[in-house]
Amino acid sequence: MAATHERPSAREIFITLEYGPVPESHACALAWLDTQDRHLGHYVNGKWLKPEHRNSVPCQDPITGESLATCLQAQAEDVAAAVEAAGTAFENWSGLPGASRAQHLLRLAKMIQKHQRLLWTLESLVSGRAIREVRDGDVPLAQQLLQYHAVQAYTQEEELAGWEPMGVIGLILSPMFSFLEMMWRICPALAVGCTVVVLVPPASPTPLLLAQLAGELGSFPGILNVISGPASLGPVLASHPRVQKEGRALRRTLAGKGAELGLALGAESLLVLTEAADVDSAVEGIVDAAWSDRSAGGLRLLIQESVWDETMRRLQERMARLRGGRGLDGAVDMGTRGAAARDLAQHYAHEARSQGAQVFQAGDSPFFPPTLVSDLPPASPCAQAEVPWPVVVASSFRTAKEALAIANGTPRGASASVWSERLGQALELGYGLQVGTVWINAHGLRNTEVPTGGCKESGSSWHGGADGLYEYLRPSGTPARLSYFSENLNYDTFGLAVPSTLPAGPEIGPSPATPYGLFIGGRFQAPGARSSRPIKDSQGNLHGYVAEGGAKDIRGAVEAAHQAVSGWVGQSPGARATLLWALATALERRESALASRLERHGMELKDAKVEVELSTRQLRAWGARAQAQGHVLQVAELKGPVLRLREPLGVLAVVCPDEWPLLAFVSLLAAALAHGNTVVMVPSGACPIPALEVCQDMAALLPAGLVNVVTGDRDHLTRCLALHQDVQALWYFGSAQGSQFVEWASAGNLKPVWVNRGCPRAWDQEAKGAGAELGLRAARTKALWLPMGD
Amino acid sequence: MSARNRGTELDLSWISKIQVNQPAVLRRAEQIQARRTVKKEWQAAWLLKAVTFIDLTTLSGDDTSSSIQRLCYKAKYPIREDLLKSLNMHDKGLTTAAVCVYPARVCDAVKALKASGCTIPVASVATGFPSGQTHLKTRLEEIRLAVEDGATEIDVVINRTLVLTGQWEALYDEIRQFRKACGEAHLKTILATGELGSLTNVYKASMIAMMAGSDFIKTSTGKETVNATFPVAIVMLRAIRDFFWKTGNKVGFKPAGGIRSAKDSLAWLSLVKEELGDEWLTPELFRIGASTLLSDIERQIYHHVTGRYAAYHDLPMS
Repeated sequence: MAATHERPSAREIFITLEYGPVPESHACALAWLDTQDRHLGHYVNGKWLKPEHRNSVPCQDPITGESLATCLQAQAEDVAAAVEAAGTAFENWSGLPGASRAQHLLRLAKMIQKHQRLLWTLESLVSGRAIREVRDGDVPLAQQLLQYHAVQAYTQEEELAGWEPMGVIGLILSPMFSFLEMMWRICPALAVGCTVVVLVPPASPTPLLLAQLAGELGSFPGILNVISGPASLGPVLASHPRVQKEGRALRRTLAGKGAELGLALGAESLLVLTEAADVDSAVEGIVDAAWSDRSAGGLRLLIQESVWDETMRRLQERMARLRGGRGLDGAVDMGTRGAAARDLAQHYAHEARSQGAQVFQAGDSPFFPPTLVSDLPPASPCAQAEVPWPVVVASSFRTAKEALAIANGTPRGASASVWSERLGQALELGYGLQVGTVWINAHGLRNTEVPTGGCKESGSSWHGGADGLYEYLRPSGTPARLSYFSENLNYDTFGLAVPSTLPAGPEIGPSPATPYGLFIGGRFQAPGARSSRPIKDSQGNLHGYVAEGGAKDIRGAVEAAHQAVSGWVGQSPGARATLLWALATALERRESALASRLERHGMELKDAKVEVELSTRQLRAWGARAQAQGHVLQVAELKGPVLRLREPLGVLAVVCPDEWPLLAFVSLLAAALAHGNTVVMVPSGACPIPALEVCQDMAALLPAGLVNVVTGDRDHLTRCLALHQDVQALWYFGSAQGSQFVEWASAGNLKPVWVNRGCPRAWDQEAKGAGAELGLRAARTKALWLPMGD
Repeated sequence: MSARNRGTELDLSWISKIQVNQPAVLRRAEQIQARRTVKKEWQAAWLLKAVTFIDLTTLSGDDTSSSIQRLCYKAKYPIREDLLKSLNMHDKGLTTAAVCVYPARVCDAVKALKASGCTIPVASVATGFPSGQTHLKTRLEEIRLAVEDGATEIDVVINRTLVLTGQWEALYDEIRQFRKACGEAHLKTILATGELGSLTNVYKASMIAMMAGSDFIKTSTGKETVNATFPVAIVMLRAIRDFFWKTGNKVGFKPAGGIRSAKDSLAWLSLVKEELGDEWLTPELFRIGASTLLSDIERQIYHHVTGRYAAYHDLPMS
């Protein structure tokens, strides 16, 4: 059509009143690419790194397919060089006072401000996202992130005393995520004194530009290093011995390598629209969530049946007015992302249709139109799969309870919004949704001060706010994470079989008969295998028999724990504290019995008494802390509060260490219960009897199923727990091999794990035994946004 | 003119369940301005279109027949002839949509327009403008007198007391009577949204005014402390769409008060285009109440045509 090149006259537009092009010049982005001769390498240690003999990939304009530049693909040596640079820089950077790091971060914020046009045109040009979103959203937020974390660095010595930076952080950026996602993670890492190596997907120049801006500040060139390369390099980066922290495949590869793993996976979001909603505003919320280039993923939409027709009518009407086009156009809602995103969306829409869904597409987009899928049969594969951008999958619900059941019935849990003008209903849904972020009557709001993260398969890492800082810190004095990887560990057979046990001689000694059985559902039960294992005392004499638990017992214990969840979560913190204190009192009464049990395992009576006393103190301390959970954040630009909630993980499995058989058991138990979890515990293998003694009190004091204790072969029980999909988190304190297995096996549901890598902890010391780390691990954060106004 | 809104029986179920979420509407209002803009030829064409939506208004204590005459002349020749020529728009008979004056000046306006041989309608404010705090009897009489003097559009103000105390039936009855008093003249109902207290009230008042047979609903008098704002407009436009979906009647929308810059007027056009669609972008269904807006539009057109910014004396005063 030749006519398209000819611009219509004002006279014609006067009749049609159509929108015209509003192109934003991207000359400066091209000029910057020219400075690199249209050939981008990696940015390492403050310099461009362009090694010879590497493959390169073209970086294309997503609309025209025209090649803008070529990008080198890194190889393992390049990764090593970047990690080396970051390691060297870490020595200096982590030793600086917080105030100096704050200064440096502020200088970087200024630097971004000076080159913001370059940044936003380059990002929009390459990613194809609407320039408005990059210019008005991402770039200012990147600056705010630096400013916020500068303040955090400044107050670090005071606020984060007792914690130290982890070291070199490896960050693997998925192709879906923009440079802003990188900023969310590198800012806290740099602020607390870590240095970073970022592996960006091929052909993403914006992170390289940012690294260059940071490098040109001069002083600390190696703190931010960016290399571009295929995702297959991820494990290479992550398993480098100097990298201290780092998705499912990655978790498997990394098992035992000693790196801490922070996952942020899916980008799918959820929107619950109730009959009490302002439907027109909720429709705008859907646009914000799916069709405004703000989010990287698709949207699952739950609509209450009574407003289904009305919502669909308004939504389809609204979709017809959406404008798509070139990202660099100032008047489009949706830009044009690359062919990969289009193919994904096309494939999903096609599959959904073939599985019986209605697919509605509207709006004017030369690329891939906004897409609304409805009537998808719940059991169809598409209903289970992650929804890609820019697709919205709508389904209906009848009651708020049903909405919660549907919403929580997916493995994803990143973010959700609830639309209801009834405060009670909105809060009920907001608290009940198992996601990291909930917005009430809004969608996609972000702020540097509000922690953002996910639960379930959306990953367990946090960024933003104070929670984000802890991702890059560890308690001072913790040994650096060394690899404990063993090539010889056979994942298929670890803990598979239980060695059989035979009668082991006469039971001798003055102590009363040991409690016997598995403590499940509030009472002692016989093990499914109907066999027992002997427990020897320090003299080698038989102390008693404990039940030999197996897979069926674990299943039963997890079921019992699940049944107790709702009751325990529903308890007020005060009630939880009361129960923990009551347990402490019971423990005191049992002191002499417990001490003598410990003594038989070779402890001095004096030390045994100390251990019992410390244990009661732990119960009281966690009881007291149960009452101080979460807080309210005040966020600039938002009228209204953001609640930072600390929510229980659910059913928490704990494999207790052999050291400090009573204290470790009680500390872990108390922290878990105080945060509202129910637990399945495997006590110390060598000395499980004190834990069973405590069970006798718990049988009388605690609700049934809240605490379940299974004795038996630790490797076998660990295997059962790690492979159980309905255990929400697993803490393992045992052998290095066990740790490695737990990390490998838990990839099944991506449950958060905490393993000791075979290193014993000093449970009697504040920092390790009772410290903040336990509290951090025992609950997950949720941010609940409550905008206000009438 | 399109078919007039005959109104409907009062149905309170249309407003009883409505809850407007103010923070969400505020966000939408910000977005519309950030996400839509027009440049170059499009901007010039949109600005000229905006001219045809203007109710060129003077509501001052010191209005006299000479100032009214000047206003009417400007309404007929809103943009300098040579500028229109270079845009090839000189033969379109471009005028503003109406002139809007106080009831006592209606005669002056009708006479002035007649003298210049044009058919631009004269709108009169009425019913105790701007506060509406006079007796119903005098308010109704005011309408009748303005219509007698030749006003073909009447901008009435509603009784805010009735909204704030939730007397929706009484409000419906009053506007019904206004409508009757107007006869053939079009009824534009000013909601004075700055004084209604909440966006939910704005929606409800809009719906009542439309059920009672208003041809237009209008944001404000220009005399309140808060006048035409985007959030309020969004709520009113959504009410208009809901009313259209329920009854098939198209009711017009008129923002007024505080709209001074050409850029603002473009945002108002895209707001209507986005929320209601192109069908509403006609003088029959969309007006902008303004006095100084026109001269800013003319300056922008001048700049578009000549590439220079106009001096004060380059353009005729209104």
